[in-house]
Amino acid sequence: MRWSELRALASKDCRELFGSTAFALLVLVIGPLVGMSFISAVHAYSEASGGGLGQAALASALSPLDGILVPAFGAYDLLITFLVPFIAIRLVAAEKSSGAIALLLQSPASPGSQLASKLVALLAGWSIVLIPAVAALSFWRASGGHLSAPETSALLLGHTLRYLVTCSLAIAAASIFDGAASAAIAVLAITIGSWALDFFAAGRGGWVATVARYTPSAMLRQFERGLLEYDAVIASFVATIALLVIAAAFLDLRVSRRRRVIRVVAALVVAAAFFAFGRTSRSADLSEDRRNSFSLADEQLLRSIDRPVMIRIHLAAEDPRANDYERNVMTKLRRTIPRLHAEYPYAGRTALFDGDDRYGTILYRVGAKEVVSRSTTEEIVLDELETLAGLTPPQRGEPEYPGYPLNASPRGAATLFYGVWPLLVLASFVISRRPYSRRTG
Amino acid sequence: MTLVNGGAPILRMESISVQRGGRAILDGVSFVARRGEVAGVIGPNGAGKTTLFEAVAGFIPTAGGSVIAEDPSGLFYLPEAVRLWPDRRVGWCLEFFARLFEREPDREAIEALELRRLLAQRAGSLSKGEARRAALALALGTPQPILLLDEPFDGLDFRQTRSAMALLRSRAAAGRALIVSIHQLADAVRVCDRFLLLDHGRAIAEGTLGDLQALAGNTGATLEEVFLALE
Repeated sequence: MRWSELRALASKDCRELFGSTAFALLVLVIGPLVGMSFISAVHAYSEASGGGLGQAALASALSPLDGILVPAFGAYDLLITFLVPFIAIRLVAAEKSSGAIALLLQSPASPGSQLASKLVALLAGWSIVLIPAVAALSFWRASGGHLSAPETSALLLGHTLRYLVTCSLAIAAASIFDGAASAAIAVLAITIGSWALDFFAAGRGGWVATVARYTPSAMLRQFERGLLEYDAVIASFVATIALLVIAAAFLDLRVSRRRRVIRVVAALVVAAAFFAFGRTSRSADLSEDRRNSFSLADEQLLRSIDRPVMIRIHLAAEDPRANDYERNVMTKLRRTIPRLHAEYPYAGRTALFDGDDRYGTILYRVGAKEVVSRSTTEEIVLDELETLAGLTPPQRGEPEYPGYPLNASPRGAATLFYGVWPLLVLASFVISRRPYSRRTG
Repeated sequence: MTLVNGGAPILRMESISVQRGGRAILDGVSFVARRGEVAGVIGPNGAGKTTLFEAVAGFIPTAGGSVIAEDPSGLFYLPEAVRLWPDRRVGWCLEFFARLFEREPDREAIEALELRRLLAQRAGSLSKGEARRAALALALGTPQPILLLDEPFDGLDFRQTRSAMALLRSRAAAGRALIVSIHQLADAVRVCDRFLLLDHGRAIAEGTLGDLQALAGNTGATLEEVFLALE
């Protein structure tokens, strides 16, 4: 891939993207969407901080990550799911339907560099789409709000990876299918399928739960908790590359059917090999309140357990205790204990009424020793495990996170998001569509 | 018109067959293109002209036969229905495509095809004939020595057709091999050195007009009369 060639292609794809009505509409929509989420979030946060007539919540429970960042970025979730696939599909489908792709395939630019340039253009588009989020965060800071750079970066990375995978999926679909509509339906079907898998796997163990950890929604949830799972980052890049390889195989009309099948199978095998053997449980807790970690003293103790640890959770998937336990305890245990195995024998059953005495219990086994408990409270679980391992549980104090209550009202936010932004986008679009002769005078 | 039957073969099509939906679209078509000549692929609608070009360019799989080129990457195919990037200026399209080959746009082609006044227009706003001329300039600007042009004069008026023909002839004289499909037989006679007559996916004859007239047994026949006599 020559640099000059990629630059020429990226320039063409950026012009195609930024000059399209679809992208203008997307940029137009994102301003008010982010604005609405942000302004609502600030009002709710202010009320929880004691603003208005309400009672102030405990200060340590007031985290800008949950209260401001996640809701403000929530608009991007909608955007990436429902609108981004269309602009990515359009970049490929337009050249396929006009026949321009046939010209490009006969140029020195390989299908791989053509697709890479589309991804570059889409990433450039992403930087424009992110402007309202940056504006929202600026309003928050200007109002005296607190932001933690690591957890903000984690959230931004999560959405960016999701955008990257969605764009690659859309590009692959547009390359495989003849019409843009078919490609769009395929992408939306895969998205809905991933939601179904996510729902089905809730509180379950085994391979279903393992696979479901890699759905876009599940991966994003971890970033929204300030957790940087290296696995999720690598999985996103592996999925992106595999999808682009598949897209290139279909885009190159001159490749024989046999070679195309070989390329697609090779991409799928490499991706599957990663998911089978290349996964890592390593992660970094970037949340300021260390919500994904036990206390340092507990972490040190748990990491020192060198025997296998088995936990069998006798709770049905739809039992709220199972969800609490999974979210508040198991996630942290997985990050901390090196040889941990978890089982959910009731995951596929509605066991609440079947009279099984074991229902609601959790069995902990460390080496040959085991104990049964009904508690899903973090401290009690830690005590059980550390005692089983022959360790002395440490003294645990109150969490050190101070919380950041703030009674704020971001002045001018509504004007910017609902007025100035749409006008700016419309004006830019109109100027970009003026006839060239008039523009050049 | 200079006949250059002695030109060196640059592209050899051997028994090319294409099937679609169990139906033979092309059935064992063979042809040799030579440097310095304009070869015409002639036939009615559905004869298989576009399919032959697509098969030679590698855009569709063949059921049999082979394409042997002096340089496998030395071939450029301009499809009939291609439209350049509709939201971009014509000048930009030509410059962008030339840049991929690390070249400048073909100024001579731009002048000859009367594209200068269209360079600032959006490609999507061009008429059929204008778009065809822009696409032709783009194809002629490529460095590949073999050009497959599907209906290059479609949508062009008589004056533009004359200019385009002169341009193609000059490029052939410079050493390129041009293979064009033309449904206007009068135009084909004016621009082509040799002909491949296709009918229902089969090659019914090939050669110069004189060769074909001799085959048809009518030395004064037009290409149309020759075709009707041989089909």
